[in-house]
Amino acid sequence: MISRAQLAVCLVLFAGSTCVHAQKQQVIGAPPEASNMKLVGTSDLQARSAYQPTIHHQGDRWIAYIGHHGGTDAVPSPVNPMTGQAEPNGTSIVDVTDPAHPKYLRHLPGQEGKYESGGAQMVRVCDGKTLPKGDPNAVYMLRTFGGEAHEIWNVADPANPVLVTRIAGLKDTHKNWWECDTGIAYLVSGAPDWRTRRMTQVYDLSDPAHPQKIRDFGLPGQEPGATGAVPTELHGPISTGPTGNRVYFGYGTNKGGILQIVDREKLLNGPKEPTPDNLRYPEIARMPMSAFNGAHTTFPMLDMPIAEFAEDKDGKTRDIVMIVDEAILNECGEARQMVWFADVTTETRPMMISSYTVPEASGQFCQRGGRFGSHSSNESMAPVYYQKMAFIAFFNAGVRALDIRDPYHPKEVGYFIPSITSATDKRCIPVEGGERCKVAIQTNNVETDDRGYIYIVDRANTGLHILELTGPARAVAGLPKN
Amino acid sequence: MRRAATIMAAVLALGASGVGAYQLAPSPADGPAHWREIAWPYPRDGWPAGRAFRCDGACEGARLYVRAKLGFCNCDRGVADDDEVDRVTDLDLISPRFTPVAAGETVSFGGLDGRARQYDLDLADGARHAATGIALSRRCDLLVAVVQGAGEAHVMQRAALEFLKTQEMKRWVTAALDGR
Repeated sequence: MISRAQLAVCLVLFAGSTCVHAQKQQVIGAPPEASNMKLVGTSDLQARSAYQPTIHHQGDRWIAYIGHHGGTDAVPSPVNPMTGQAEPNGTSIVDVTDPAHPKYLRHLPGQEGKYESGGAQMVRVCDGKTLPKGDPNAVYMLRTFGGEAHEIWNVADPANPVLVTRIAGLKDTHKNWWECDTGIAYLVSGAPDWRTRRMTQVYDLSDPAHPQKIRDFGLPGQEPGATGAVPTELHGPISTGPTGNRVYFGYGTNKGGILQIVDREKLLNGPKEPTPDNLRYPEIARMPMSAFNGAHTTFPMLDMPIAEFAEDKDGKTRDIVMIVDEAILNECGEARQMVWFADVTTETRPMMISSYTVPEASGQFCQRGGRFGSHSSNESMAPVYYQKMAFIAFFNAGVRALDIRDPYHPKEVGYFIPSITSATDKRCIPVEGGERCKVAIQTNNVETDDRGYIYIVDRANTGLHILELTGPARAVAGLPKN
Repeated sequence: MRRAATIMAAVLALGASGVGAYQLAPSPADGPAHWREIAWPYPRDGWPAGRAFRCDGACEGARLYVRAKLGFCNCDRGVADDDEVDRVTDLDLISPRFTPVAAGETVSFGGLDGRARQYDLDLADGARHAATGIALSRRCDLLVAVVQGAGEAHVMQRAALEFLKTQEMKRWVTAALDGR
């Protein structure tokens, strides 16, 4: 027999749990969740699932180039309202000169296909006047075309891109790096005869109209003809160019990550036949991570002064690589994917020194739906934020602003979780007898421009949000009060 | 009361031990294969442990390792080629030195599609075993299996596939791919 008092307690507890549950889910019309970050402007990006944004200062304009995944089961090829045609997801080109009023200029269709199998997910941009043999009047956009090709377009008139060249015949592509001052490009490709889906094809794209292949590269065991275990596949490299002479390769997504530090000069000019010895030749060090975590982004921040070490006789400055894992399973179906900081000052003995994750309980993110965990960081090295602040795309926890001036103790100083809209797509998990779906923001990528604006894009079709820092977070970056 | 507790304890002990025995229908050529569950023998890695079995019948001494790898597959292409089998199966847990002996073949059961491929495994003690790697996908998720031993590769492969197609294993596979 339950007493009245017990019943009352139960009702109160039930009401409380219902209230807590209600707070977990985002609802259309609710305001964004934010701390020290403010919304400046938005673009719906035609409700296309978004991957990599690159912001380019082009004459007196600022242009955002945004790569897209393929379409969804429900809408394989969304209609482009500018043409009235259904177009496979490709690249959105948006004028963000006035960030409060972004102007959508052009959708450039990509490869047909859904989710990871279509679209044009990646994009990098170099000015022709910076490339050694480029047309000085051109602006070149390097993009992936689904998994089957890399393309270069002249986007000097961003509303009317012109195809320049195409590198095709690949089985997968991913996050490239292009050195604008030399033209050397590290194209994440799946060469058909390699044993891994993704490896590196190094190209000289100093003359974008005439790509010159330099070599194939990967981890020993991935090359054609090898046998035995196949090492973790590549996610993407970042080069410090001829000055830094290093390329930092990140392997893995959410498992078995590897940071590989490579001597750029040896990579470009060493023996090129993909034998195990030749693949090992340019490698300086390799740091395996936990089997629980992958390496999506490996962002170098070299020669950082560390305030705490200022009085030390040695080691006052440190070379740091920020490593960002990628969460891939919905509703916390895997080990936490997060951010790691490695001290690579002694290059042959890199060591993990700190980490960062969004506290799950701060937003009950495992209950909200979709992915929770990190995906990527901004990759701009513009002085406005470089070595001071990092921005991390954290899927349903939005974007996170980190004070990284002391990388031994990274600290969150701001965040922004956009509101969902009617365009926001559902995310499902299998349950007995079917599946259960929820709708939540899925902040996939983030980039910054030289002015300090922060651009985040959504994997669940919610579009582009342009943000700025407010309050104490501005002081971390040395920005004037707003 | 004591009897009920004893029965409950026995049920729990059997369930908790994870040890079961499975009798397959006799195969005309090779006689019955009998799979006995043994402890998962490998250290923790990126995926939760799977299930391991030892064959006591026609494929005497063969070992079968089965586990789900959620989110590890191209969601649209599935297990598209033999390179994918090389990459995703757990052959490397047994030995990093394995060599395919032939092109693989397509395999399907229980709504899963994929490929199986035979290998030679060089073990740490110098012995050479035959093995079959099996990789099957359901959307973005994988079920992988390796059967290996000193016996004939095709006998072990057939016995393993028949075992995986039993109702009990199909139920477990479905639950594992659902993350339960």
